[in-house]
Amino acid sequence: MKVLLQTCAVVAVPLLLVSCSGTNAANPASPPTYNPYPSGILPTDAESETLRVQGEVQSIFLQALTEANALPPANVTGQPPTQQASGYRAIMTLGKLMNYDVNMSALKNMACASCHMPYAGFGGPIPSVNLTMVAYPGTYHFRAGKRTPQRYTYSPYFPMLQLDNTANAFFGGNFWDGRSTGYLLLSPDAEQAQHPPVDTQEMGLPDTACIAWRLSQSQYVAVFERVWGPGSLTGISWPSNTEQICSTPGGAATFGTNVTPVGLSQVDRNRANVIFDHWGQSLSAFEKSVEVSPFSSKFDAYMKGKYTMTTDELAGYDLFKGKGNCNSCHLDGRGTTLSPGQTDTSTAAQVNPLFTCFGYTNEGLPLNPRDAFYYQTTPDSLGFTANPDGFGYRDLGMGTFLRSGFGSAPSPNAEWTSQAPLRDGRFQVSSARNAGMAPSQCPTTEAPGPYFQKGFFHNGYIKSLKQLVHFYNTRDLFFFPVTSGHCPPGKTEKVDCWPMPEVTNNLDMTVGRLGLSDLEENQIVAFLQTLTDGFTVPYPNINTFTGQCSTGGSASTQGNETLIPTPTLPPCSSNVCAIPPLPNPAIP
Amino acid sequence: MTRPILKLVMTTAIAAAMFSNPIAAQVPPPAKKARRVQIVKAPELEMAAGHLTIITWTTNNPGGTDDHYGVVHYGTDPKNLNKTAKSPIRLNQGHPTTTFRVRLDDLESRTTYYYRVDSEESTGKSDGVKSIMKKFTTPATGERLVAYPKRD
Repeated sequence: MKVLLQTCAVVAVPLLLVSCSGTNAANPASPPTYNPYPSGILPTDAESETLRVQGEVQSIFLQALTEANALPPANVTGQPPTQQASGYRAIMTLGKLMNYDVNMSALKNMACASCHMPYAGFGGPIPSVNLTMVAYPGTYHFRAGKRTPQRYTYSPYFPMLQLDNTANAFFGGNFWDGRSTGYLLLSPDAEQAQHPPVDTQEMGLPDTACIAWRLSQSQYVAVFERVWGPGSLTGISWPSNTEQICSTPGGAATFGTNVTPVGLSQVDRNRANVIFDHWGQSLSAFEKSVEVSPFSSKFDAYMKGKYTMTTDELAGYDLFKGKGNCNSCHLDGRGTTLSPGQTDTSTAAQVNPLFTCFGYTNEGLPLNPRDAFYYQTTPDSLGFTANPDGFGYRDLGMGTFLRSGFGSAPSPNAEWTSQAPLRDGRFQVSSARNAGMAPSQCPTTEAPGPYFQKGFFHNGYIKSLKQLVHFYNTRDLFFFPVTSGHCPPGKTEKVDCWPMPEVTNNLDMTVGRLGLSDLEENQIVAFLQTLTDGFTVPYPNINTFTGQCSTGGSASTQGNETLIPTPTLPPCSSNVCAIPPLPNPAIP
Repeated sequence: MTRPILKLVMTTAIAAAMFSNPIAAQVPPPAKKARRVQIVKAPELEMAAGHLTIITWTTNNPGGTDDHYGVVHYGTDPKNLNKTAKSPIRLNQGHPTTTFRVRLDDLESRTTYYYRVDSEESTGKSDGVKSIMKKFTTPATGERLVAYPKRD
C-alpha cells in the first residue's frame, strides 16, 4: 500500500496519462521460502539485497511515470496512421514503465530491471549474487535460474537467429543459448522480453495472458493505449479468478502441464496474445533507446576524434585487434594492427561497431559449482522442482536449444535440429560494450576498487575483466584435468590453474594461449573499459545504486575466497545428453 | 516559423536524440578465399599431458568462412593415420596469418603418434594444405610436456 501512495503523490499532475487506480499494489501472499541450498550457497544478504534493488527499481518507475505524464498529446495522422512526432518517445516511455514495473511478476515483487539495472550495464545488480549463486532469485524466493543475466545494452541490434548456409554458422538471436529467435516478431530482442515474465524461476507468471491482465490493471493503461491504440488493452472478459491464477507462480503442481490456466475465449486469448507481443515490442523500443544503448563511450568519442586514448588504452586496443585476436569475434569494425605504432589505414566497415560477431562459441568455462541451479533438486511448497538432475545437469547452451531440450525453449525450426551436436557447449558472443560498466560510486569491476562485483560469461565463473583476459590468454597453458575447487597444491585457481571445461565439444581454440604478458592483459582491460557508455553524455540512472562497494584484494584472485570444491559429478543426465541428435563425442 | 511547426521540429529533435540510429546489424560476409593456403610455421606439439595434447601450426590466412576448423589426422602407424581430430577457430579477416590449434583428447601415455594437418571451412571444404608427416611422443602418466611456444 505504501508503494501506491507514493506513486499517486507523484502522478498528481494535470495530464494524468497514468492513474492512481488499479489493484497492482496489493501484494499476493508469498509462499513459504524455498531454500534447498547447503549452507553458504545462498548469500546471507539475499533478502535485503533484493529489497534494496526493489527500492531502486521503484524510484526509476516513478521517474518513468513522470516522463509519461510529460508526453505531449498524441497526434495520430497519415495513412497508415502514425503518431506524428512523439511516437518514438511514447513507445520508449511505455517500455521503460514496463521494465521497472514490479507488478509484472507473479508475486508483484520483481520487475525485468530486478536483474538488469542501469548501473550494471543492465546486467545483474547484486554483488553478492554475482559473486556466489550467479543466477538471480526469482519472484518466488529463492527459486533461481541457471545463468547470469545477460546485459541487454545493444541487444536490439542483434538480427534474427539465422543459420547462414554460406558460413554454416548461426548468427543473431538473443539469450546465451539463442532461444529467442525473433521468428514471429522479427525481433529477437522483443521476443527475449517475453521469456522472463513466464519463466518459472524468474518473474513466474503462469500464463502469458497474465501480462495482459496485469497491464490492464496498471497505472499506465492510457500510455499503453496511446501507443497501441484506444481499446488495445481493454475488452477482454477476464474470469473472476484471473488475479488468483496470476499470483500463483508458474510450475505449481496445481497447473499440471497447462500453460494457459487463465480461462479465456479464443477471441480473448488472441487479444491477450497481441498485448503480449506489444509488451515485448515496447520493451525492445526502450532497450534500443539512448537510455539503454546510447553509443556514448570513450571509444565512440575516439572514433569521432573527440577523445585521445591513454597510452595503455591505445596499447590495449592494438592488442585487442592484434596479438589478443579479440576482434575475431568481438568485431570492432576496423582493420588490424599487429604491432604497436603501426598505422591503421583500413576503412571502417561499421561506423559504430557492436563488438560482437553475433555468433556462438564454446570458450571452455569450467562448471561453476556455486550456480544455484544445481541445488534445486527438491520440490518447493508448490510442488515445483527446477532441476531434478542436480549436478547431472550440463549446460550445452545452443545445442540444448536446438534439441528443444530441458531448460531451454522449443526450437521453432526443425531444419536446425541436426546442427545440435556442432553447437553443443556454445553460447552467444555478447557485445563487449559495457562489460566494465559499474555504479558511479564504485566505478570499476576490478579489485582493489572500490569496485562493483560482477560475474562474467554465462555461468559467472569469471569475476573480473582481468580474469577474463587471463582466461583467454592462458586457458590451455595452465590447464589441469580437475574441476573447480580442486587445483593441485601450490597452484592458484584462475591464476596458474584453469579447471577443465564443463563441455569440451566444439571448444574454440582461437584463444587459450595468446602469449600476452601481465602488462598486456592489463592494457586490454584498460581498452575494454573504454567501451563503457556514459563518457560523452551521462548514462541515465547510473547513480541509482544504493548498495555497498567492495574494496581490497587483487583482480587476479577476485572472488577466489568463495570458491568451493565441485562435488564428484554424476554422468550427464539423460534429460540433457540423451536427446537426439546425440552429442558427438558423448559428454561424460 | 509557425508554432505548430516549431513544436514539430522540437519534438522530432527530442525523438532523434532519444533513439540512436547508427547501424543496422550486419553479419560480415566471408573473406575472399586465398588462392593457395600454405603453412608458414610448421606443425608442432604445443603441450601434452596424459589427458590432452595440442598441436599448433600457422598458415597464411585461408579466407573463406570465418568459422574454420584445424584438422589433425593421426595414428600410431605412420602408414595408417586412422584418427581425426578437429577444433574450431575463428579467422580474423584483418590478420595476414592464421594460427590453428587442435586438441587431441585421451591419447595413450608414452606412445609415439604420427600426424599430418589440414584445415577446412565450416562447410567441410578443405583448404588443401600440404603437410609433411610429423610425430610426437606422449609423456608418462602424470607428467606434463609443454613444448611450444615458450611462456613469456
